[in-house]
Amino acid sequence: MLDAPIVLASAGALAVLGSWVAYLATIPSGNVPAKPVGSVIAQLIGVGLAAAAIALRVQGGQPIGAAVVVPASFATMMATFFVFLLTQRKTPIGAIRIKVGDPLPPFAAQTADGAPFHTDSLNGRRILLKFFRGHW
Amino acid sequence: MRNDLEKHDVRVIALSKDTVQDAAFHRQRDGIGLPLLCDPDLEVIRQYGLEHHKALEVSTGRFTIAGIPLALVPSIKTMAIPTSVLIDEQGVIRWIDQTDDYRLRSSNERVMAAVKSAFDSC
Repeated sequence: MLDAPIVLASAGALAVLGSWVAYLATIPSGNVPAKPVGSVIAQLIGVGLAAAAIALRVQGGQPIGAAVVVPASFATMMATFFVFLLTQRKTPIGAIRIKVGDPLPPFAAQTADGAPFHTDSLNGRRILLKFFRGHW
Repeated sequence: MRNDLEKHDVRVIALSKDTVQDAAFHRQRDGIGLPLLCDPDLEVIRQYGLEHHKALEVSTGRFTIAGIPLALVPSIKTMAIPTSVLIDEQGVIRWIDQTDDYRLRSSNERVMAAVKSAFDSC
């Protein structure tokens, strides 16, 4: 017979994991939601299920047991991490030193092959220069 | 997107705080075809005023499972604010797009609208 707290805790972990996977899948296509309300709701449901599982065990006066603790902890930690990452999303724009109409300030750098690069080599070309945060 | 840019003769170059080793690894793992520039000392990022101090980075290091990178290691680093800069043949900046939410980037539509507005009249 299925044990309700184990089912609830596992469902909670699956809800959180599924929401993470669905969110991460939006990144490569550039369709990351500006307000990921659905993801946050799914994460909260996951945590709620995990909490309900533990509450049922406590109410029943039984030891909580690894089969409940492990998925419940996973759901709680991953949901907390998701919300924490969301709180870190803002960038401090405003200190930018370039503006439209100005010549591109020259710079030197190295390419991923280790070769030297200078903006002089861009002369006469149309360029989209992307500044990005770096590799994952 | 790439084809649309090529039609307008626009080349894409990307710069980050990655070291040459990181960028080379990233390029190979993720099959990136465009040129990557490395600014590990943040000289260019600072020169352009694009620093994001104490930004949260969640990195895989070099860790992957079945070729899928799993982000594991959070750390605090200074890095670039995601920014797109469109430059014409004369080396003049024609468009700048900066995000105030690092999860969100210039959409294809916004980039192509800027490219068309800058170069279609030429």
